[in-house]
Amino acid sequence: MSMDLLKTPITRRRFLQATGTAGALGAVGAGTLPNFATLTEAQATTPPSGGQTVVTKSFCHQCPARCGIDVYTTDGRVHAVYGTLDNPLSEGKLCPKGHYGQYLLYDADRFKGPMKRTNPKKGRNEDPKFVPISWDEALDTVAKRLNDLRAKNESHRFGLIYGRGWGATDAGLFKDWSALYGSPNIGLGHSSMCSDGSEEAKKILDGNHAYNAYDYANTNYMLVFGAGFLESFRPFTGNMRAWGVMRTKPAKTKVTFVDVHLNTSAASADRALLIKPGTDGAMALAIAHVILTEGLWDKPFVGNFVDGVNHFKPGETVAAVFTDEDIRNRTLAKEKAAAEKAAADKIAAEKAAAEKAKTKAALAKLLEEQVLAKGNPAAEKAIAGKIAKFEKEEAKKALSEEIDRKQREALDKDKKPEPEIKAGQALFEEKWVLGLPEWWNAVLKDCTPEWAEKITTIPAKTIHAVAREFGTTHPAIAIFERGAHAHTNGTYSGMAIHSLNALVGSMFAQGGLHYQMKPPAGKLPIKAEDFMDDYAKAPERKKPRIDMVKTDKWPMASNMLQEVAKNHNTAAPYKLDTVMFYMTGPVFSGPDCTAWEKMLGEIFVINTSPFPDETSVYSDLILPDHTYLERLQVADTYPYQGYPISMIRTPAVKPLYDTRVFGDMLIDLGKRIKGPMGDYYKQVGNTENIIKAIATAFAEKPGDNGVNSYESWKEKGVWYKKPYLWRQIRGEFYEWDKATKSYSKRMTQEAVKEKLMKTPSGKFEFKSGYLEEEHHVHYLVEKFGLPAEMIAFPQYLPANHAGGGDLHFVSPKLAMQAEGRSGNLPHATASMQPSVGGKKTVYLEIHPDTAAKRGIKDGDRVRVKSSVGSIEVYARLYGGIRPDTVALPMIHGHWGMGRWTKNRGVSGSTNEVTPNVSDAISGQCCYHSAKVFVEKV
Amino acid sequence: MAKWGMVIDLEKCVGCQACTVACGMENSRLPGEMWQDVIFFTEGTHPSAQLKWFPRPCQHCENPSCVAVCPTHATYKTEDGVVLVDWNRCIGCKYCMIACPYGVRFYTDEKPLVAPDMRKVLASKDDHSWNPPWKMPDAREDWKHGVGIQPHDVVSKCTFCYHRISKAPPGTPDLDPQDPKLREFTPACVVTCAPGARYFGDLSNPNSEVSRMIGDKRGVRLLDQLGNKPQVYYLTGDGGAVPSSRAINKKV
Amino acid sequence: MNFIYPKTVNEAISGALKMFGENHVTATIWKASVAVLAASLGFVFYMLFTEGHASFNTSSDGVNWGSAIATYVYFALISSGLTIIASLATVFGFKQFYPVAKRCIWLAIVTLIAGFAVLALELGHPFRMLWAVPSGMQIYSPMFWMGVFYVIDLGLLIVKFYLMWKEDWDSPFSHFIGIAGFIAVVLASGMLGLLFGSMAMRPMWFGSATSVFFILSGVLSGAAAIVFSVYLAYGFDTKNMPEQLRSLALSDQLPKVFATLIGIVLVFLLTRIWVGLWSNQDGMEGFVALLNTPWFHLEVWVCLALPFLMMLSPSMQLAPKWQVTASILVLAGMFIERLQFIVAGQNVPMFKGTWMNSVTPYTPSLTESALVVVGISTALALYALGERLSNLSAAPKESIEAAGQLARG
Repeated sequence: MSMDLLKTPITRRRFLQATGTAGALGAVGAGTLPNFATLTEAQATTPPSGGQTVVTKSFCHQCPARCGIDVYTTDGRVHAVYGTLDNPLSEGKLCPKGHYGQYLLYDADRFKGPMKRTNPKKGRNEDPKFVPISWDEALDTVAKRLNDLRAKNESHRFGLIYGRGWGATDAGLFKDWSALYGSPNIGLGHSSMCSDGSEEAKKILDGNHAYNAYDYANTNYMLVFGAGFLESFRPFTGNMRAWGVMRTKPAKTKVTFVDVHLNTSAASADRALLIKPGTDGAMALAIAHVILTEGLWDKPFVGNFVDGVNHFKPGETVAAVFTDEDIRNRTLAKEKAAAEKAAADKIAAEKAAAEKAKTKAALAKLLEEQVLAKGNPAAEKAIAGKIAKFEKEEAKKALSEEIDRKQREALDKDKKPEPEIKAGQALFEEKWVLGLPEWWNAVLKDCTPEWAEKITTIPAKTIHAVAREFGTTHPAIAIFERGAHAHTNGTYSGMAIHSLNALVGSMFAQGGLHYQMKPPAGKLPIKAEDFMDDYAKAPERKKPRIDMVKTDKWPMASNMLQEVAKNHNTAAPYKLDTVMFYMTGPVFSGPDCTAWEKMLGEIFVINTSPFPDETSVYSDLILPDHTYLERLQVADTYPYQGYPISMIRTPAVKPLYDTRVFGDMLIDLGKRIKGPMGDYYKQVGNTENIIKAIATAFAEKPGDNGVNSYESWKEKGVWYKKPYLWRQIRGEFYEWDKATKSYSKRMTQEAVKEKLMKTPSGKFEFKSGYLEEEHHVHYLVEKFGLPAEMIAFPQYLPANHAGGGDLHFVSPKLAMQAEGRSGNLPHATASMQPSVGGKKTVYLEIHPDTAAKRGIKDGDRVRVKSSVGSIEVYARLYGGIRPDTVALPMIHGHWGMGRWTKNRGVSGSTNEVTPNVSDAISGQCCYHSAKVFVEKV
Repeated sequence: MAKWGMVIDLEKCVGCQACTVACGMENSRLPGEMWQDVIFFTEGTHPSAQLKWFPRPCQHCENPSCVAVCPTHATYKTEDGVVLVDWNRCIGCKYCMIACPYGVRFYTDEKPLVAPDMRKVLASKDDHSWNPPWKMPDAREDWKHGVGIQPHDVVSKCTFCYHRISKAPPGTPDLDPQDPKLREFTPACVVTCAPGARYFGDLSNPNSEVSRMIGDKRGVRLLDQLGNKPQVYYLTGDGGAVPSSRAINKKV
Repeated sequence: MNFIYPKTVNEAISGALKMFGENHVTATIWKASVAVLAASLGFVFYMLFTEGHASFNTSSDGVNWGSAIATYVYFALISSGLTIIASLATVFGFKQFYPVAKRCIWLAIVTLIAGFAVLALELGHPFRMLWAVPSGMQIYSPMFWMGVFYVIDLGLLIVKFYLMWKEDWDSPFSHFIGIAGFIAVVLASGMLGLLFGSMAMRPMWFGSATSVFFILSGVLSGAAAIVFSVYLAYGFDTKNMPEQLRSLALSDQLPKVFATLIGIVLVFLLTRIWVGLWSNQDGMEGFVALLNTPWFHLEVWVCLALPFLMMLSPSMQLAPKWQVTASILVLAGMFIERLQFIVAGQNVPMFKGTWMNSVTPYTPSLTESALVVVGISTALALYALGERLSNLSAAPKESIEAAGQLARG
């Protein structure tokens, strides 16, 4: 893209339309034109507040965690962002990205107002030649297209693709919009390109399609697979706060970290294991194997063998039930034991009798002596003393025996009666899990650490050690994220890892993991379904989504954004006509991303980003959103500690430019759709009305911080109500009792099923009922080539590594990586990649031996190439990465994002070499599954 | 008079750089002008490979070599123990940068880390070297104490957020950012440190948490053999690291 | 070339201007140097006004002091060396060196001015220095004392030159100025050495030997400068020289002194590099980097060892062309030395870890290179001016006799 996009032509009209303080930040761009103030001049003209600093409550938008922030504004200038002290997610703290809020607000490359394209030709290097237009013209243009599509019966060809949208006023609007307008493609989410694999694995095992909330502060062991716990795992600030507690509490939380390279998270842990990419599941299975064979599972939660004997023996199956022979053997063994006991008792009795005789003899002898000594007072006295001593000792002995006997009796009384076992009775009595012996027999019995070593390259000895630690250090939690599940076998691997949490009884336990509760929310008095017209209700509206989610193609996936361009380009199921983008840029961040360029080249594209990006290079209309410090918006929390949290952000400053918050944009667009839909949105009015309606729910349920209204919510920035309501304690589930302030209300099995483990059985299912549903079985058998009886179990399947190369290729996220924008943030770039000193660019991490074999020296320019494309980048030798793997953070390589992304040393997106491959179950895009060639340029 | 000092617990530090960024935005730093930085070291090959780090603000030495070498007394030590640069006196000779063993000083006018030069994009029309829209409030700017956007051609450095700490109530033993009353007086890096690895307080006050921690947790100082006697102490715990070597790649 | 030397300021100015129309070696040097100076200074000013010191390649991440400081040190030490050589005649009574004494003093003045000029352009706020240094009175700073001594040195040099101009070679006052000047210059150059030598945190510089090395290598560069300038003044032809100067030039004393000085400097350099390579101390890795640059080898073998052999060789030491060659090589070598000394000392960055993955790269920018040219052209222009405006070969009568003896002996 040429610089011309950045030099957005600004006419005087555009400037005057701008709301209040706006001006063109144009030291490089339009600053040379007369009459255009630079941003700093615009700032200077802001009415000064007399040096008074105003703190506005908001929440961060640099990652999905949504930490509460205090925005410091003085004289109309936002100059600092800090964590809000009384916000549960931030507690006054922030991660590095959070502090960049004001940078995004004042980003020199921001779009200044709506614009339309005048160059009909589209391409990476085509200047769109944008010209400013008014909001009315912009929205009318879109509305006309949408009304026309409806008129042509083609409303499904309007798509709205979104990424980081949360809460009732943006992502929350899609459902009604989709129904009223009549397109299944409104609100195509990016979750498959985020971390659906994680949610899906949990859905399969415990019935919750969600990320977990964790009680880190009370955990004693963390086993982390492929999640950048201290870099990119959410909520980052919360994780770090927890880390400070975990690592300095009296019983320091021990951490084992499994990844493919040494990053700051791995380096912070007690043990860093560099595993072969895509094999995490095998290691988890081996850990489960050891936990079972060594009897380390949590019996109160999992249950136990009825006979108290551990029947899990490596390589041997466990019978489902006791057979007649088992009973016979058991009886024989019992008889044998009884006979042995009788023999021993007999010997003991004989011994006691002998002892008694001996004592009797001794006493007789003494009495004789006494008789003889009569008359001799001295001798008489001596013998009397001897007798007294003898009797005293005898009494003592008798007392001691009596005590022993009583104690034995007491113990025998407490002894549980030997279980009555009958033939046909289940060997293993399961408490809160389902299918453990079946899983063992089908999968685990052969998953020895030695087996896993061959697959993972992690030494069997180490796996043993980790398993014993994990099984004996309570509470322990196993965490996994994209590193482990962004592979074709990702859901199964994720299941294997998540199963460990059940095996050690950490589900819903203190120091374990649970699920996030939703806060209360009031609703508008009107209902969208009352405004559906005949068109919207027509059966023809039941078209498949363009990503084919919930069809036979992707029956279990939630979203398949990575399929959209592919499907559009092949017109299967159809082609889109108009697409609107909100906070996502798959043309850079999607796998095999160049496919999007083809798609965007032939359709009408609307971009709502406040900033230039690759999507805008292909856009026909730019409808710039506010940046987050200019917004009024609400959102629920990201899964945190479980108790409900509801956030609100209030504008710290008036919008700098002629922008409009996305939710209002959507409502204003709705108003322009002909028919009752327009009426509905006219009645909705704006996003503030929705937010006010939500806040009404707080009147009845005031937050712990006293928030009970819209006003108090804005003042505090957050509503929250502690505690999390449920807890599993030693195999029993309890609900929080307000009266006693304790987890003391015992829950029924039904309540657990309804509220916590939403599986068909209401238990943690090692043998998943969800996967065994008939329409899933066929699909899975076909996709994975497994026998039908195997599909329900967590298991290891070799990942399919596309790309054709000889080195695994991963594109990790870094601590400094703000959502999508840090490529154009020089401040972030300056400390982007600490492991290898990437501060002007990012480097390809390559093992010294791997580099030497290819004649690559430190700092050399190299080409990374796969079957779908190639990019060039500088290499840095790093002994902290596996020799069979290279890593390049997905951050630089932008070609349309702003002036500071240019010439950053990476020739293109990592996704130009990442093939578009997905996990068949979750639809998770396999970002870390590619294999590439690396050669010196 | 207080003697301000910092304690950094490396057992908690996760190398996230939030301190660096908070400092950079609080003090309106240029990209790459890291008054506070986290310094990373790598060594060896897996499984012996190590990635270690430690945060490095100005050490505000008791015997600051930068103060001794400054030919104009532009660099000085305040009564409350902070080493500052008076931008009205600095002649930009950079001798202090040469003499600082910790590499914490920065010259204003250098090639931009990332082009185009932000100083030109956000150019200043007056004596300031640039003019970011997010700069600190004018009222806080204080060139005599090296606070704010500096003029051209001077040396700048971490001030322990002098504009914040100098307003703390006298006699405060520790500036705890979790205390709403003290939060605004606490250095930016300490305020934001999520794992709580940073502590700031009065080293001369026996009742301060920082004083106690130095004793209880065996605080160490960087390059102690040089005798600069930093007022920044590191607690190494287990797993923490204060490197004795400043070089990263011995093979040159 | 026997000029009619001006006697008043007006005559001097018109003499300088006249030089643009004259056609002799000195005029050629003058014209060329002024032209180069104007061009290079113009470029430097343009860059400083548009880019500021950002046009330098120096960086807070490693090499804070670059070629400009090296140029300053180079010229300051040439100046000191020249003053010390002049002192051979004016202080220590080696009267045979009188024929070069006045030229030495003049050259000392002009090289010091050239050095200061470059330093001023390198400094962020050179004018602020004028009040901030005296009012700061930071007596712990080696830089403070270096400044004090060099300012005294410059003052005494100017006084001494004035006295020589007035043909006052031998008055008690002239003697006093000579002695004071010698002390000042030893302190100044020694303090310049200590400016680096005091830096315990920079082990490649650390130690009092740095000070001694600065003084002795300064004398060597001064010797090279005077040899070169004497020949330059007379078109590289001894026949053009006045009698007494020719005697000195053709005696074996000068090459012997020259060789001795080169030898001393070589010993210093080689022992320094030995210690540097042998030591594992953190920060000494710069010596390895040094050894890996071609510049180091050019300096040691071509610019020092070769002239050393030339000046020892009985067949070459008396030949003017080899003396000139040796002096040019030494002057070049000493410039490399100053640059390498300063850069290598900062090459291992202070606690930058992975952010500076290995030794800091540094190559002077165009502006910095132009600044070097500013220094050289300033020195050459002022030197030519001196040749034109004053008889730099002037010497007291007794020295002519001594020189005569030298020639006969």
